[in-house]
Amino acid sequence: MGLTVASALVVAVTALVHYNNIGDREVVLFNGMLVADKLGYLFSALAAFAVAIVALIAGPHQRTHAWENGEFFGILLLSSTGIIMLAHAGDLMTIFLGIETLSIAVYVLTALRKKSARGNEAAMKYFLMGAFATGILVYGMALLYGAAGTTNLAAMAERLVATPNLPLTVAGAFLVVIAFGFKIAAVPFHMWAPDAYEGAPTPVTAFMAAAVKAAAVVAMIRVFGTALGGEVLPFGTLGWASPLVIMAALTMTAGNLAALKQNNIKRLLAYSSISHAGVILVGVTAMAWARPRRFRRWFYVMAYGLTTLGAFAVVAYIGSKDRERLLLDDWAGLATSHPGAALAMTICMLSLGGIPPTAGFMGKFQIFKSAMEVYDGQLLWLVILGILNSAVSIYYYLKVVTAMYFKPVAQPVGELHAPSQAFVIALCAVLVMAMGLLPSFWMGL
Amino acid sequence: MDGSFLLPLLIGLPVVGALLVMVSPKGEGGLARMLGLSFSLITFLVSLGVFAYFRANLGGMQLVFDTVWVSSLGIHFKTGIDGISLWLLILTTFMTPLTLFAAKGSIDKHVREFVAAMLLLEAGMIGSFVALDLFVFYVFYEIMLVPMYLLIGIWGGQRRIYASIKFFVFTMVGSLLMLAAIIFLYVTHGQVTGTYTSDLEALSNLILPHQAQVWCFAAFALAFAIKIPLFPVHTWLPDAHVEAPTPGSVILAGVMLKFGIYGFLRFAMPLFPAGAAELAPYIAVLAVIGIVYGALVAFSQDDVKKIVAYSSVSHLGFCALGLFAMTLTGIQGSIFAMLSHGLTTGGLFLGIGVLYERRHTRRLAEYGGIWKQMPIFAGLYLIVTMGSAGLPATSGFIGEFLTIFGTFTASNFPGNYSIPNPMLLGAFAATGVILGAIYLLYMFQKVFFGKLDVAKNGGLKDLNGRELAVFVILCVGIIGMGVAPHRILKSMEPSVQTFVRNFGRGVSEPDGPARLYGTPVPSQPRAAKTAPVAQLGVGQ
Repeated sequence: MGLTVASALVVAVTALVHYNNIGDREVVLFNGMLVADKLGYLFSALAAFAVAIVALIAGPHQRTHAWENGEFFGILLLSSTGIIMLAHAGDLMTIFLGIETLSIAVYVLTALRKKSARGNEAAMKYFLMGAFATGILVYGMALLYGAAGTTNLAAMAERLVATPNLPLTVAGAFLVVIAFGFKIAAVPFHMWAPDAYEGAPTPVTAFMAAAVKAAAVVAMIRVFGTALGGEVLPFGTLGWASPLVIMAALTMTAGNLAALKQNNIKRLLAYSSISHAGVILVGVTAMAWARPRRFRRWFYVMAYGLTTLGAFAVVAYIGSKDRERLLLDDWAGLATSHPGAALAMTICMLSLGGIPPTAGFMGKFQIFKSAMEVYDGQLLWLVILGILNSAVSIYYYLKVVTAMYFKPVAQPVGELHAPSQAFVIALCAVLVMAMGLLPSFWMGL
Repeated sequence: MDGSFLLPLLIGLPVVGALLVMVSPKGEGGLARMLGLSFSLITFLVSLGVFAYFRANLGGMQLVFDTVWVSSLGIHFKTGIDGISLWLLILTTFMTPLTLFAAKGSIDKHVREFVAAMLLLEAGMIGSFVALDLFVFYVFYEIMLVPMYLLIGIWGGQRRIYASIKFFVFTMVGSLLMLAAIIFLYVTHGQVTGTYTSDLEALSNLILPHQAQVWCFAAFALAFAIKIPLFPVHTWLPDAHVEAPTPGSVILAGVMLKFGIYGFLRFAMPLFPAGAAELAPYIAVLAVIGIVYGALVAFSQDDVKKIVAYSSVSHLGFCALGLFAMTLTGIQGSIFAMLSHGLTTGGLFLGIGVLYERRHTRRLAEYGGIWKQMPIFAGLYLIVTMGSAGLPATSGFIGEFLTIFGTFTASNFPGNYSIPNPMLLGAFAATGVILGAIYLLYMFQKVFFGKLDVAKNGGLKDLNGRELAVFVILCVGIIGMGVAPHRILKSMEPSVQTFVRNFGRGVSEPDGPARLYGTPVPSQPRAAKTAPVAQLGVGQ
């Protein structure tokens, strides 16, 4: 655990140093296979940070839940390689490689608790769906290659400008949208997510919800921002914007509605994560219009990732002693016995619900602002839908707070000893508040 | 020194207090109470300092504090007060220590958390009253919800969970649509002028097309109508009030409900005058329905707290009506009625708290003939009740009189602004005054007069020193405002005049060109046409 955290932090610091130095330059490496720019370094640093946090959660969790596996940490690091590859991808091939490196590692992580039937089922579902998505992705990429004659993202953008409405391009873009839809668990390709989230060990769930999602987002930024739109091609010309918009609307709404009736905290967070994928998609769509590298709106991805990590850390912490404690009833009265954990969870819930002054609110403000800017207010309805969804989501986030603060203790949670988890929880809560109160620093990043 | 640091200080003090309370050692709660009380008292003293700095003869914003908050978004942390927010600010800083002081009897578990929640609530309320940036306002407006939600949910009555969630979700739904409108304004200003800002003054210089104004005003209006609460979106209020603990009810009715009217005054109407003109008739009618409906429903209640809760629906209807009458008198009356309602309804709830602590019931039938047992309480409570019913020489009379008077004279506003049939609306509103006197006196009579026929009431003790102090302070305030309202009315007059003048200009001006999107055009500040008074009078 220590080694993993240390190496992840080294990566994070390195990435941040490069991030600071590179400015607005864009360094192309390996014949355009990799691109070193601010966006890439930022997401690399995020991935490394997430790995460190997940490792800190996983250490105690492994001990108390009897799935001690040294290889967990190795595979975790391997998966972060995939994310970093995605973050710096300059070519469809790198994107494919990155996604596969990441996905295969996460399939294994999901299945690590060999004796758990739920875990195996989760891993199976995740694996089959993931493989399916990969197939669609490759198919789409092949069509795009057919249309543009290149797999390099920057070169592809130039060639597609000349012939923007080729049926091949449209079909390819459409398939790529679907594949990414699977990866970030967007409706209607989300069915696997609640089961996979629930069945995976909690630290892995945290990683899936925060880091894997962020990785898919950065891949989308690369593909849709650089190759298929952004600065070069106007909004929607390549036919990917409309399906993405519809997907965003469905994802926000369906995820939220399904979360309303969940009583299992992991499933609740899974559906919440689906609805947040919808909000992220709003941002991705809006990116088609504005310069994608102005990634202040990716503040939301940071905010969401951090908050989710914090929330799952609390879930792991509460369940660390005797049993998992996944039902909301198990959380009743937590505020009395563990006020710190309850406060941190409350902060995370408020942030996910978009209540100021938390990171989640600032993030949503960014996303909706950029969507409102798309010309002629084309996405105004999407913004209003997203904002109404926030109102719905408040109800189930409050359910968690209500259980912790308003209900009498039903199943007392004894003394908990997991200093590394406690540290992570405190760190996330403080950062969520800091990002909300002083967003300038983080947006200027 | 220009005193501009005072307003941020006022927001910061309770926050610091709350943090100190949270880290104070766990114990009986005595230390937490003392910390809370001292911090809220210091806050009150500082607000008196604000009062000292305030120049009553100016109509504009004073003590303006402006610093960059989110540089990349162009959002400033900007605060300031005028004659309108000054008094609401003082109401807030006055009610909070009083409530904390009175709360000793009703709150005995989780005292630290309670005090911290109250202080955070105070910070949120102060922030909302002094914010001059829409983004900052929204943040504080939302921050208020969380402590109140906890107050109802942790220390509330039987159905507290239902009530707290209903309170939160209702208010949230309203304010989220307002957020959509805020983002729309922010983006539009950015696209039209090239500078992204959520500064209230800058945004009010933006002339939106008529249709956009109507939609944006509707979004803001929903948020504030829920907060007022205007009929028919008032249903969260009785639940929240009945389930909330006494201090929660006092702050909710005493201060938080005022944000509805204040929001209209400060944000919705100056930003979208044409939209306000279009929708004002509906709001005025709803306000009158609220006045009569609230009073009628209050009649049929058996629960003392519910009577007072519905009386709030009725009384805040007056405030809304007076505001939309758009006369100087009406608006002054509306603000005065808000202040008066803060004191009287706060007092009514505190009195119910006194009874509840002794008898643990709020049913009217359980009381009767209490005057004999608690003469001091009865006497003081009578003053509070009379104040709420609007008896002359109390604060309530001035407020109701001015709002109704203002409504009657609402006919010659420039442009196409009018509320329908002001005489009729005023007449209906006036019946609300009569009904109010009846149900409040009925309540008083049921509780205090008649035979002492419930055996348990025989042993009731009269007010203790702490309760006595609270009620004396409140009664002095109520009578003082009723006898000498001039000081308050005078000091808000220039600000209200500025408001009416700017609003009139906004309404009578033809629609701005449809330049919402597309090529940026530098904005033409509306203020440029009539030089000396800047929009909202900021920066005089």
